[in-house]
Amino acid sequence: MEIIVLIKQVPDIEKVRFDAEKGRIDRSSAPAETNPFDLNALEAAIQLKEKLGGSITVLSMGPKQAESSLRDALARGADKAILLTDGRFAGADTLATAYTLATAIKKLGRFDLIICGEKTVDGDTGQVGPEVAEFLGIPHVAYVSEIREVHQDKLLLISDMGDKYLVEVKLPALITVTKDLNTPRLPSLRDVLKARKKEIEVWNADALSDYGDLDGFGVKGSKTMVVKVVIPSEKGRKGIIFRGEDAAEKLLEVLRENRLVN
Amino acid sequence: MRQILLVANKYRVPVFPRGGGTGLAAACMPTMSGIILSLERMNKISIDKDNLMAEAEAGATLGDLIKAADEAGLFFPLHPGDEGAHIGGLIACNAGGVRAIKTGVMRNYVKGIEVVLPTGEILILGGKLVKNNAGYDLMQLIIGSEGTLGVVTKAWIRLQPRPQASATIIIPFEDRRKALEFVPKIFQIGVFPLAIEYVEKELVDQTAKILGMSWPCKEGKYHLMLILAESSEEALLLECEKLMDLCEKVGVLEPIIAERREEQANILKIRSEIYSALKNELIDILDTTVPPAKMADLIESVNKLAKKYETYIPAFGHAGDGNLHLHLMRKEGWSKDDYDRLRDEIYEKTIQLGGTITGEHGIGYVRRECFKKFVDRKALELMKEIKKAFDPNNILNPDKIFI
Ligand SMILES: Cc1cc2nc3c(=O)[nH]c(=O)nc-3n(C[C@H](O)[C@H](O)[C@H](O)COP(=O)(O)OP(=O)(O)OC[C@H]3O[C@@H](n4cnc5c(N)ncnc54)[C@H](O)[C@@H]3O)c2cc1C
Ligand SMILES: Cc1cc2nc3c(=O)[nH]c(=O)nc-3n(C[C@H](O)[C@H](O)[C@H](O)COP(=O)(O)OP(=O)(O)OC[C@H]3O[C@@H](n4cnc5c(N)ncnc54)[C@H](O)[C@@H]3O)c2cc1C
Repeated sequence: MEIIVLIKQVPDIEKVRFDAEKGRIDRSSAPAETNPFDLNALEAAIQLKEKLGGSITVLSMGPKQAESSLRDALARGADKAILLTDGRFAGADTLATAYTLATAIKKLGRFDLIICGEKTVDGDTGQVGPEVAEFLGIPHVAYVSEIREVHQDKLLLISDMGDKYLVEVKLPALITVTKDLNTPRLPSLRDVLKARKKEIEVWNADALSDYGDLDGFGVKGSKTMVVKVVIPSEKGRKGIIFRGEDAAEKLLEVLRENRLVN
Repeated sequence: MRQILLVANKYRVPVFPRGGGTGLAAACMPTMSGIILSLERMNKISIDKDNLMAEAEAGATLGDLIKAADEAGLFFPLHPGDEGAHIGGLIACNAGGVRAIKTGVMRNYVKGIEVVLPTGEILILGGKLVKNNAGYDLMQLIIGSEGTLGVVTKAWIRLQPRPQASATIIIPFEDRRKALEFVPKIFQIGVFPLAIEYVEKELVDQTAKILGMSWPCKEGKYHLMLILAESSEEALLLECEKLMDLCEKVGVLEPIIAERREEQANILKIRSEIYSALKNELIDILDTTVPPAKMADLIESVNKLAKKYETYIPAFGHAGDGNLHLHLMRKEGWSKDDYDRLRDEIYEKTIQLGGTITGEHGIGYVRRECFKKFVDRKALELMKEIKKAFDPNNILNPDKIFI
C-alpha cells in the first residue's frame, strides 16, 4: 500500500505564549514539534505498512525548520520525506495550504491512501485534510477512531463525529484520524541517528508548476484573510458570599444579570 | 524566628521545624509537646540572573523554585520527588533525587544560608560565592542535619542555564546484572546524563496501567532510563551517538528514544509514580546506596535474600548514583521482627560493599536504631558533641538521628 502522511509542525501548545496586543502567537516562546494528531496518522500508516507492505511518504508544507518534524517521521518509520518550502507558499489560508499539498501529491504520482491528523493544535480548523481530498477528487472520511478492516481496494472505518459511524471507503481515499486510533510508538535510538543522515527532498513553487497554478499558492491563493485576532482574556473564578435575609434574592439578581437563569 | 528560639531555649520547650512534611524518615514528626515551627509563609524567591543564583526563603517550595528559575530563563536541575517540599526541608535533608548525576545533590547547589541557632543567634554562612575557605564549613554541616542544628530561614542556590535540547532514552536488558553493569560504562565513555534510572518492566507496566498510560519500551525485563540534557541539538546528537556505539559494543536490546516534551514527560511520570503501584502492600522503602559500580553486586545479594526469605523485593533507583530503592513488601504471617531481620541483612551487605544505609532519605526518626547499629562509634560520638555545641539544651528537633 502506498501511503502519504501529511504532517504539520506546530509550537508546543502547552508552552506557547500569546501576544495579546499584536494578536499573534509568540513563536519564540515555545519549541516547535510535530502536530500530535499527525503522529497518530503516521502510526496508522506504519501499522498498515507492517500488515500490507508498501511505503510511506511524509509531506509537510512549512518553513525550513519543519525538516526536524520530517526527520522525526523518518525515524519513526516513514520511507521518504518531502518539504514544501518557499516564500510563495507563505501566508496561506487553509484553502491555499490544501491546494499546495494536493498539487504536490499530484506530482508524487500514485497513492492508495492519504492520512492526516484530525486537526492541528495551533490552527485547529480541521479543514486541510478534507480540502486536499476535494482538490484530488477522492473520497475522504474524517475523525477516524478505528480501522476495522483493510482490503486492497477499500477500508472499513469508524468515524467518530460525536456519534460513531461505520463507514466503508473506496481507495484511493483520504482519512483524518483522532488520538483514539492508536498510541504512537517511540523511535529506536538507532533509527533516530540514521534519520539524521537521510536526505529530505525540498520542493519550491517552481517544482510544482507543471501540476498546478502558482496563483493558487500562498497569499495569492487565499480566499480568506485575517482581519483581526482576538485572544480571550483568562477569567479567574469569582467567589461572592451572600448574607442576610435577602441573600437568595440578591443571588437570583446576579444570576439573572449574568444570564444564567431567566 | 530568633525570638521564638530564644524563648523556647529559655523555657526548654522543644521546637520541631517543619517544611512541606514530605520527608520519608519522619524527621519533622513531633515526638513530644512543643512548638511546631512552620515556615510556609516565608516563601519569597528572587532570581539574580547575573550570578545565576536564586535567593529563596526557606518556606518556598521546590515547585516555586523550579517555576521562578524557568521564568528567568534558568534551570534548577535537581528534582528530589515531591514539588511540595520546602527549600528548608530540602536543605535539611540534603535531598538528591533523579537528576543528581551531573552536578550533585542539594549541598552542591546551596552556596549560602541564613540560619537561626537554637540559642537564638542568626548566622549567615556562605553567600553568592563559588569559592569560600574561611575556617570550618559550618554551612555544609547544617545541610543534611535534619533540623537538629539550626533553623534555615533563607538560602542562596546556584542555578544553571536552561538546556536547549533534551531526550529520554530507554535501554532494555534481559539481565538485571548486565543492566546495572552498563551504568559505569556510560560514564567511562564520557557521557553524563542528567539522570540514569533503573526500573523493572513488570513494575513500570503495572504503574502505567494504574495511570491509564503505557510504558513505551516493550523489550527486556530490566530497563535503564536516561535523561540527557545538553546545550544544543548538536551536542545532544553527539552524546546519542556515543551511547549507541556503546550499546552496539556491549550488545543490549534495542534502545528507544523520546524527544517530544510530552513523550518524555509521560515516561518520567510513570517512573515517578512507581511508588503508587506498590504502596498498598508496602512495609518499608530502603534507600541503600553503594559505589555505582557495586550496584550489580548489591542487586545480586538482594536477589539471593529474596529467595532465602521467599519474598518479592521490587527494586528501582537512581542507578547513576548507586542509589537503590528496595521495597520490603507485606508477607502473610510475617511480624515486625521478620521485616527487620531482612532489612538488616540488606544493610549488612550494603556496608560490606562500601555503601551506606541511606543515600538520600536520612535518619530522621525511623532509621535511628539502624543508624546506631551501623555507624562508626567515634563518628557517632563526634556528631553528638556537635549537636551539644549547637543546641546545649536539646530543644531543636529532639529524638531525631540519635537514640
Ligand atoms: C483565514 C486564515 C488566514 C491565515 N493566514 C495565515 C498566514 O497569513 N500565515 C500563516 O502562516 N498561516 C496562516 N493561516 C494558517 C494556515 O492556514 C494554517 O496553518 C494551515 O492552513 C493549516 O490549517 P490548520 O492548522 O487549521 O490545519 P488543520 O486543517 O486543522 O489540519 C488538519 C491536518 O492537515 C494536515 N496539515 C495541515 N497543515 C499542513 C501543512 N502545512 N503541511 C502538511 N500537512 C498539513 C495535517 O495532517 C493536519 O493534522 C491562516 C489560517 C486562516 C484560517
Ligand atoms: C514522593 C516522594 C519522592 C521523594 N523522592 C526523593 C528523592 O528521589 N530523593 C531524595 O533525596 N528525597 C526524596 N524525597 C524526600 C525529600 O528529600 C523530602 O521530601 C524533602 O527533602 C523534605 O522536604 P520537606 O520540606 O517536606 O521537609 P519535612 O518533611 O517537612 O521535614 C524534613 C526535615 O527537614 C527539617 N526542616 C524542614 N524545614 C526546615 C528548616 N527551614 N530549617 C531546618 N530544618 C528544617 C525538618 O525538621 C525535618 O527534620 C521524596 C519524597 C517524596 C514524598
